[in-house]
Formats: sequence, structure tokens, C-alpha cells
Amino acid sequence: MQWQFSNDAPIYAQLIQQVKVGIVTGAFPPGERLPSVRDLATEAGVNPNTMQRALAELERDGLVYSQRTAGRFVTEDNTMINAAKKSLAKRHVKSFLEAMLRLGFQREEIISLIEQELGEEEANHAGT
Amino acid sequence: MPVLECKGLTKRFGRVTALDEAAFSIEPGRIVGLPGPNGSGKTTLIKLANGLLTPDGGYIAICGFAPGRESHALVSYLPERTAIPVWMTARQLMDFYCDFYRDFRRDAAEEMLAHLNIHPHQSIKQMSKGTREKVQLIMVMSRAAKLYLLDEPIGGVDPATRDYILSTIIGNYNPEAAVLISTHLIADVEKVLDEVIFINQGRVMLQSTVDDIREEKGMSVDALFREVFKC
Amino acid sequence: MLRKLLKHEFRATGRIMLPMYLVLLVTAIGSNLAGRGMLDRPSRILNILAVLIVIAFASAICGVLLMSFALMIQRFYKNLLQDEGYLMFTLPVSVHQHIWSKLIVAAVWFAVTILAIIAASLIVAYDVGFLREMLDFFRYFFEGLQKLKISEALNGTVYLVEFAVLMFLSLAAFSLQFYAALAAGHSRANHKMVWSVVWFFGFQFVLQMAMSSIFVMLDKLGVSNFLNIIDWNPSVTAAIHVGLLMAIGCVIVYGAIFYAVTTFFLKKHLNLE
Repeated sequence: MQWQFSNDAPIYAQLIQQVKVGIVTGAFPPGERLPSVRDLATEAGVNPNTMQRALAELERDGLVYSQRTAGRFVTEDNTMINAAKKSLAKRHVKSFLEAMLRLGFQREEIISLIEQELGEEEANHAGT
Repeated sequence: MPVLECKGLTKRFGRVTALDEAAFSIEPGRIVGLPGPNGSGKTTLIKLANGLLTPDGGYIAICGFAPGRESHALVSYLPERTAIPVWMTARQLMDFYCDFYRDFRRDAAEEMLAHLNIHPHQSIKQMSKGTREKVQLIMVMSRAAKLYLLDEPIGGVDPATRDYILSTIIGNYNPEAAVLISTHLIADVEKVLDEVIFINQGRVMLQSTVDDIREEKGMSVDALFREVFKC
Repeated sequence: MLRKLLKHEFRATGRIMLPMYLVLLVTAIGSNLAGRGMLDRPSRILNILAVLIVIAFASAICGVLLMSFALMIQRFYKNLLQDEGYLMFTLPVSVHQHIWSKLIVAAVWFAVTILAIIAASLIVAYDVGFLREMLDFFRYFFEGLQKLKISEALNGTVYLVEFAVLMFLSLAAFSLQFYAALAAGHSRANHKMVWSVVWFFGFQFVLQMAMSSIFVMLDKLGVSNFLNIIDWNPSVTAAIHVGLLMAIGCVIVYGAIFYAVTTFFLKKHLNLE
């Protein structure tokens, strides 16, 4: 997994987002055991306490659960994973819309731009 | 009990006050950054904690002990400069650490050296400057100490070595021990830290957790650091 | 912990001293062979070779003497007051143990060096023609000794022991004067070495002043009168013993003062670069 951090948000919040992305994209498949806090922290290059805090928060949300001795596991509940997927998508769309509105685009213009872009991409795929 | 505690800690060099009534404490399990420009008092503080300097006023204690023989057994110290005797081989250096520190984990040191392809028979004299620094760090991190005092561990090293050093620090994390890292390159270590203590002109200006700073100020510790220490 | 400090101190110095003793041994054996068979041969090359070997032996003697002296200073300076000091002074070891480990190891090498030079000289002299006469002298000397009274032999042995102890303690005390000067000089922020030299000669000056003023004071206080009054008329033998023992006492005081100075500066005014 690739870990990347921006400078404007707390690190634990960014870790939550990135583990969520990992779960949704299948880097951490449903029902699988997560690496230990120390291993995850070493991989991400972050403080172990911060990683611990992020995982505890994910646990509270139900995306991961812990088994007393065996460690932490990704949930097997697909509706939950889908909900996480949707909320991640919503965030992207929201920030995209904010940026477009700031540039002065109207609702119809945005939709047509998206359709145009999607069409181009389909054509590209067909071409290759 | 805090791992490191100081109150009213003062040190003067002639007319210059290097540390002025410094007060803070560090709890076990914390990785703490000590950012500050050169001459801010970071190295003076670390030397005082190691008993390499004697304070002119105030109090400093490691797990309740004033700096001395008892505290030295609990503190693992990485000086700013290479202090290991260069005539030794890596193995003799491990013998040395084994003899003087009961908490030295020889197997951990051997593993880390092997990971860097450093042969135990190799003498330190034959190693490059970067390798010597890594060997010294390995010795320091191979101890199961209560307090690690790392003075500028990533000053003047290449990015690959910096990553190696930081992952070594994370990989050896122990919830009962605290780590204090002094650095003027706060951006590089920010993610590794629980909290930071800002020192400027010998005074403690701020002690806060990294995520609190990011949450409250909406900026990285590095950005705040640049703002506070603007010339 | 002192034992461990000593172990590593011997490791650090032995790797230099032992090869030097080996060179001394080899050149001594070489000189012995040169003296026995090479000097009086008609071959010019052999003669020159023999002279060269003897010169090498003489240089080896100077070498071990200088090296044991240089190591005494260098180990204290480099291991405690330079970069390695950061490692050494953060060991769970007291300042006293540091000083003792340096002092004991330096003194041991001094003693071994002297014994090694004596041994090497005996090797050179072994069964060499023109040196045989010298050995004859020693034989007469020892035969003479056998004719001595027990009390004389005993006194002679004790003199020798007292003298050896005095020499050994003097070397140790002299080392402590160097340590004190280095520790004091290196408590300064700058020009540490210059200050160390200044301190050394400062100590030397104070020492001379103290010695002469003590003699003047003893004279003024009328020590000779005092001795007359108590009617102390020692035999020559006893006077020599008293003199040697007093000298030993003085050397111990002199060493103790510099030990205290060294400890003071290393404990309270350590200022590593």
C-alpha cells in the first residue's frame, strides 16, 4: 500500500481515510487479518500511537474488529464496506464540486463536461 | 512517573543563558520531537540529561534519578557526533555494549547489522561516515532503555539513510520507554512524533501533540515551526 | 564495572604495546646474534647489518619508552575528552572508576616496559664475549652478597623494594599531574589544548613554590633543633629508610592532590566539544 500525507489535516484522520481506501480497494480484503500496529506504523512511517488511535476509531465505526489474542480483522460485512465506499466517493464528489463552483461552472456545464470526458475515455479504451 | 522531568532548569555559559528555567515532562510510551534552530538550547538540554553538563539551577531527573550512574543505565544516548571508538570492530563494539549495559539486546544488534550487510569482523575505521552513524544508531536502539535521547539523528544524512533511521526508531518502539529526538528538520520526523516541545533561546515555548497542532491550527508542525521561528 | 573498564582499556592499549614488545624482543635476539657472530666477521655486509640491528634495538627501547608515555596521555585525552568522551561519560560508571582505570593501565604498562627493557638487555648480553666480563662482575657481586650479614641483606632488599615502590608511585603521580592539567584545560570553551599546557606548567610552578616554602618553613620552625631536643640519632641505615618512606609519603600526597583536581574538573566542569 502507498501511504501519503498532506500537511493540513491531523495524521490520525488521514490514516483512517487511507486504511478505509485499502479496505474498499481490496488491499485489505474482507475477513483478513490486519498487520500489527507496529508493522503498519513502520510501513506508513508514522508514530505507533497515532496508528493505534486510527485503528481504534475504525473499530468504533465497525469497519474492523479485534479478536482478543489474534489481532485485528477487516469486517466481513459487505454492506458496511459498500457504505464506506460510498462515503469515500461522496467526499471526492463534494470536493470536486466545490472546486468547479469556485471556477464558476454551472450545474449543466459540469454535467456536460463530465459526460464529454467520459465519452473521450471510452473512445480511448475502444481505440487501444 | 515521568521518564524525563525538569523544572526551572537553567544553564549559563559565561554571560549567555543557554537554558532559561526550562520545565516540562515526558511520559513513557511517547516519541517527542525537540525542534529548534541551532543554538536554541536543544543540545544543552540533552547534555544536561546525560550528565555531560552540570546545571546552574533547577532540577532534571530521569525516572526519578538525577543524572549519574543510575540514570546512565536507563538512558540510551545518540550524540550529535560519532563517539564510538573507530579502532574497534563491530563485534568488539557489541562486546563493549554488552559489558556495560545489561539491557543491550545483542541478537537485535546482530540482526540489524546483518540487514545492512555489515560484517562483525569489519573495523569501524574502514566504514564510511554514513555507515558509522548507522552502526552507532544500531547500538543505541538495541538497548531496551527507558529513555532514548537522540541528538540530531537525521542531520546531514541522505534520504535513504533518513528513512532507515526513522523506521528503526518506529520498529524498536516500546510502550514503556520514551524517545526524545532533537532536530532542525522537523518536517522529516513530524509523522513519527506524538508530541513536540518547542525551545527557542533557551525557553520552552510550547508542548503539544502533533495532531492537536494540526487540528487546532490547520497546519503542519513544520509550518507552525517556520511561523514561530521566523527570522 | 572497574574490572570491565580495565578489560577494555587493556584491549585498547594492548593492541599497540604488545607489538612494540615483540619488536623489542626480535631486535634483542637479533642484537645478541649480531654481537656473537656478525661483528667480528671479515664480511663488510655482515658488519653493517650487525650495526643496523643494534641501532634498531636501541630505537626499539626508545620506542617502547616513548609509546608507554604517549599512550598514558593519549588514552586520557582521546578516550575521555574528545568525541569518545560522549560514549565513556554516559556509561553507568563513576568518574573515579574512569580515572582509576586509566591510571592503573598506564602504570602497568610503565612497569611492564621497564621489565621488558631489562629482559631484552639480558637477552642481548646472553653469552656474548665482551659482555661476559660484565656478567662476571655480577657474579662477584652476588658472591659478595652471600658474605653479607642477614640484617644487611634484609636492609638491602627493603631498600630495593622501597625504591621500586617510590619509582612506581612517582610515575603514577606524574600521570595524574598530566590528567589534572588535561581535565582543567578541557573545561574551557576554546583553546583547550593551550589551556592544558598552561595548567600543566602552572601546576609545576605551584609545586616548586610549595616544596621550597615547606623547606623554608621547616627550617624556620627549627626542625633541626627539635631533632636535637628529642635526641634522635638514627643510624645511616635507619635514616635512609626514613628518607625513602618520607619520599613515598610526599609522592602519595602529590598524587592525591592531582587526583582530586582531576575528579573536580571531570565531575563539575566537564565541557566536551
